[in-house]
Amino acid sequence: MVLLVLLLVVGTAVVLTRDLLKATMLFAIYSLTIAGLFVILDAGDVALTEAAVGAGISTILILATLALVPAREHRQRGHNRPALLIVFITGAALVYAVSDLPEFGSADNPVHQHVGPYFIEQTYPDMGIPNMVAAVLASYRSIDTMGEAIVILTAGIAVFALLSVPPRRRQRAPDAKTRGRDEG
Amino acid sequence: MSVEFIIQLIAALMLGIGGIFAIIGGIGLMRFPDVFTRLHAGSITDTLAPLLIIGGLVLLVGFDLLTFKLLAILFFLLFTTPVASHATARAALAAGVQPLGEDTRDTGASTSKS
Amino acid sequence: MKDNSILVIVARFLIPLVMLFGLYVQFHGEYSPGGGFQAGVLFAAAWILFVLIYGLETGLRVIPLRVIYSLGCLGVLLYCAVGLMGVILGGRFLDYQPLLASPQAAQQAGIILVEFGVGVTVASVVMMIFLQFARRRAQSQAAGLELDQEQDRS
Repeated sequence: MVLLVLLLVVGTAVVLTRDLLKATMLFAIYSLTIAGLFVILDAGDVALTEAAVGAGISTILILATLALVPAREHRQRGHNRPALLIVFITGAALVYAVSDLPEFGSADNPVHQHVGPYFIEQTYPDMGIPNMVAAVLASYRSIDTMGEAIVILTAGIAVFALLSVPPRRRQRAPDAKTRGRDEG
Repeated sequence: MSVEFIIQLIAALMLGIGGIFAIIGGIGLMRFPDVFTRLHAGSITDTLAPLLIIGGLVLLVGFDLLTFKLLAILFFLLFTTPVASHATARAALAAGVQPLGEDTRDTGASTSKS
Repeated sequence: MKDNSILVIVARFLIPLVMLFGLYVQFHGEYSPGGGFQAGVLFAAAWILFVLIYGLETGLRVIPLRVIYSLGCLGVLLYCAVGLMGVILGGRFLDYQPLLASPQAAQQAGIILVEFGVGVTVASVVMMIFLQFARRRAQSQAAGLELDQEQDRS
């Protein structure tokens, strides 16, 4: 409960702050809080992945990007009222749909009736490994994991394609400015 | 007054005091005026609070494989927290933040060998 | 940052530890929370720490550029090769049964190989993204471009 409140506060702060460095740090705290929530919900693999990727690598990569862009967010002026209306309507519809879902975590949910018990009972006789998540990821649903690996590779290729062209000389900065910029 | 009751009492005290130190560190992080004073508050309490908390947990667990894992976590934290605050202080000096106060000697950040 | 002895000493202690922990998480993915994705990210984080301390050129001498590029693709190819072995040896795609004699050993072998492929791909992609950003900054400075200094218009 405390972690959920912290999540809300940090999420609101990330959106409202305009200094990008502060937003990066708050985003790292957000990822760490979500990892804590995953641990409370007994999801070990997901918590480890979220902590490593969200609070670790994602922060480093965003900081590396911040070295290339201006330091404050450029805010648009004015409000976009039709967009706000659409977002409110969609959000209200989602909340109404959530109230129709079965109770969270009860044993006779339809979610727990079909493949869940099969995985829980059959993983150790089938494979001999105790980690059910790894078994589902790598053997029962391994084509999905292949798709994930290919997606990661495609993301890497896209970044490489975008950034491997050296920047063109758009304008020549006066020397005083570039000298006083930073030492990297 | 058996031994395990005393051990649990000491562990509870350590956990409580560790939590109080963490809260005090957080208050200090918010209330201090400058980057360097905030680092002082943050890093000292951030090193002491896990020491007390993990010490309390080790007392509660006893002598188990879990004890070594907790001690490994503590060892790692003790190594990295002061170094992180040192790196932050050097980065702040390199970015040009001047410490508050009337002392205007050269802070020595221009040399990189230190 | 390599002249700052405190950071160098602690980094020298931590980088092999993080890499070792990454390998541990990779190969214990069957018994404890772990697996390919977490291990790849941890290994790449250790290399990024090395680059932050010692510089990008030294980092690229440790793991050269071509190795990073090829390892990224080789991980996915390993995954698909394991799948194709299933087809070649008489089963379906990504079927681990025909790989070894006993069914449980076959599943475990398939899982280890597949997770290793995923880990290698994730590690090399994260390393590549970081070095692209780092090189971009060096190139921007070398070309004399001024970074956009828009004013805060609000």
